[in-house]
Amino acid sequence: MRAYELIKETFLRRGYIWMVHVIWLALYGLFWWLFIPDGEEFGQFLFTWSGFFLPLALSAGVFGDDIASGRICVLVTKPFWSGGLYIYRLLGLSLQAAVHLLLAAGIIGVLHALTRRGSLEGLGLWLLASWLLFNTCAALSTSLSVVVGRAYNSLLLFVAMATGFIVVALLTSLLHEHAGGETFLSTIKFPWPPFELLSKFARGEHEEHGVTVEAFGLAKSLGCVARSLMLTVVYGVIGIILLSRRQFSCMRD
Amino acid sequence: MRFDSPVERGQMALVRPNQASAGSEGTQAVVECRQLTKVYKKLLARRTRTVCALREVSLSVHKGQIVGLIGPNGAGKSTLLNLIAGLILPTEGAVTVCGHPARSVKARDGLGYMPEHPAFLGGYSARATLQYHGALLGLSREAIARQVDKSVQQLQMQEFIDRPCCDFSQGMKQRLALATALMNDPQLLLLDEPSNGLDPVGIIQLRDLLKQLRDSGTAVVISSHRLGELEKLTSDYIFMHRGRIITLADQAATGQAGRLRVELVSNGRHVAEALLPASQVLEVSDTELVIAVNDPADVPDIVANLAKGGARITSVLLQKEDIEEVFVRLCQERT
Repeated sequence: MRAYELIKETFLRRGYIWMVHVIWLALYGLFWWLFIPDGEEFGQFLFTWSGFFLPLALSAGVFGDDIASGRICVLVTKPFWSGGLYIYRLLGLSLQAAVHLLLAAGIIGVLHALTRRGSLEGLGLWLLASWLLFNTCAALSTSLSVVVGRAYNSLLLFVAMATGFIVVALLTSLLHEHAGGETFLSTIKFPWPPFELLSKFARGEHEEHGVTVEAFGLAKSLGCVARSLMLTVVYGVIGIILLSRRQFSCMRD
Repeated sequence: MRFDSPVERGQMALVRPNQASAGSEGTQAVVECRQLTKVYKKLLARRTRTVCALREVSLSVHKGQIVGLIGPNGAGKSTLLNLIAGLILPTEGAVTVCGHPARSVKARDGLGYMPEHPAFLGGYSARATLQYHGALLGLSREAIARQVDKSVQQLQMQEFIDRPCCDFSQGMKQRLALATALMNDPQLLLLDEPSNGLDPVGIIQLRDLLKQLRDSGTAVVISSHRLGELEKLTSDYIFMHRGRIITLADQAATGQAGRLRVELVSNGRHVAEALLPASQVLEVSDTELVIAVNDPADVPDIVANLAKGGARITSVLLQKEDIEEVFVRLCQERT
């Protein structure tokens, strides 16, 4: 009952959440309809919108709203481990993403069947990569929400990611000929959500051999999945520790 | 209720257990605060500013007791309530609730908390909100349904139980917040300004409900500025000022301090100067004297003394000091 209510709450907590899903799904359909993409183009589009922008929209103020309204003061006086609150909320976001991606696949499948245009090649892997990226971004955003008021967690994450991309792009152009440059870049990218890695993972597996794993390798593919899940867990643990240790005032913002 | 305050630092301490709390002595305390100090650190531009919100406060609250926390703004009432609820951690000292450290899951098991400004998910109805809180408490579907029906009856929520919370008035929110706090039949109920926004009927219902809870053994701690309401309800008060408990008095004790209003034919000023110590005279005119009285039993002696001294008395009225006057007096004394 507790898990069900907390998971359900992630969908019902704000009136616009269902609209986000509808708009995102419409975007996928529109992209498909207008640009007749191949599997990789569509996969990259799906990966970016559902893996990065969707968690920003769904997790905006996931704890910040409760903290700002003072509702958190009642929630944390309930007799259960505060970490449970975090875990079930993240699980709720993750389940929403899973259903969202299945619906996206269904819509694109129907469009493909009706129009016989474009390609669905590798869509399964792109869906998996998108879901994994969603989870890491959602965990990071949810953890930020424990310490950042209202819905600023998403804004902050967006700005941090955009800045990170620019910095990494600059460093890549500067360091690409230097010995050790690759290692340095890999190191600084390591704690960030694995955009590049998951993108390669989704692209690599179907590059030449359809659903085989030759191009990217089974071990590497599993490594990508493991690393993505590990980052989700690390971000989650940080969020749980912050939530368990945080002191709450009942003063409203 | 037991109360340990640093009296040696010049603070007053008046403990007179009334009947409601006298029976609770010897039972295990539902709330036990030992030497609680809370210091808030605020990071300013280049330095850290510290604010001591609570200083070495010790108290215990027993089963079946209603305790009123009163004091001016910034006295530390909410800080004390938040410490008991486990929302914040003490800088020094310890709090136990039902024998377990505050903030532990076991302590929360017996706790019901109602904040000053209750907030709910706007899209949820009152019923869905109660079901949600019931689920968080780990109650079964049947138990939740039973509790929802009970709350609807107890708090007169029939009219708005299926309406979305975003349409609620302050009074409706207060009722719903109280209902959520009561979902687990708590051993300790913490209420922050519970009568905010309630209409007179709602206030009477709240008072009756709290009395019922007290009779059934629930300990209630209320922080409120509505002193008149508290007086009708509360058996014990904790006066707080600048983070300290300055006086703890039960209702009977506060009722014993009072003013004697004596109306005279004439010569009031002369009578006061000749017959009464200056510290005892609160107001004086030719036809009226207001005299501070510590014990109602002294009144006949005072009146007899005045009459013997030649005062021509037309009427005498003993006005007991109510909690509001005690509060104002204590605040004035402290400032």
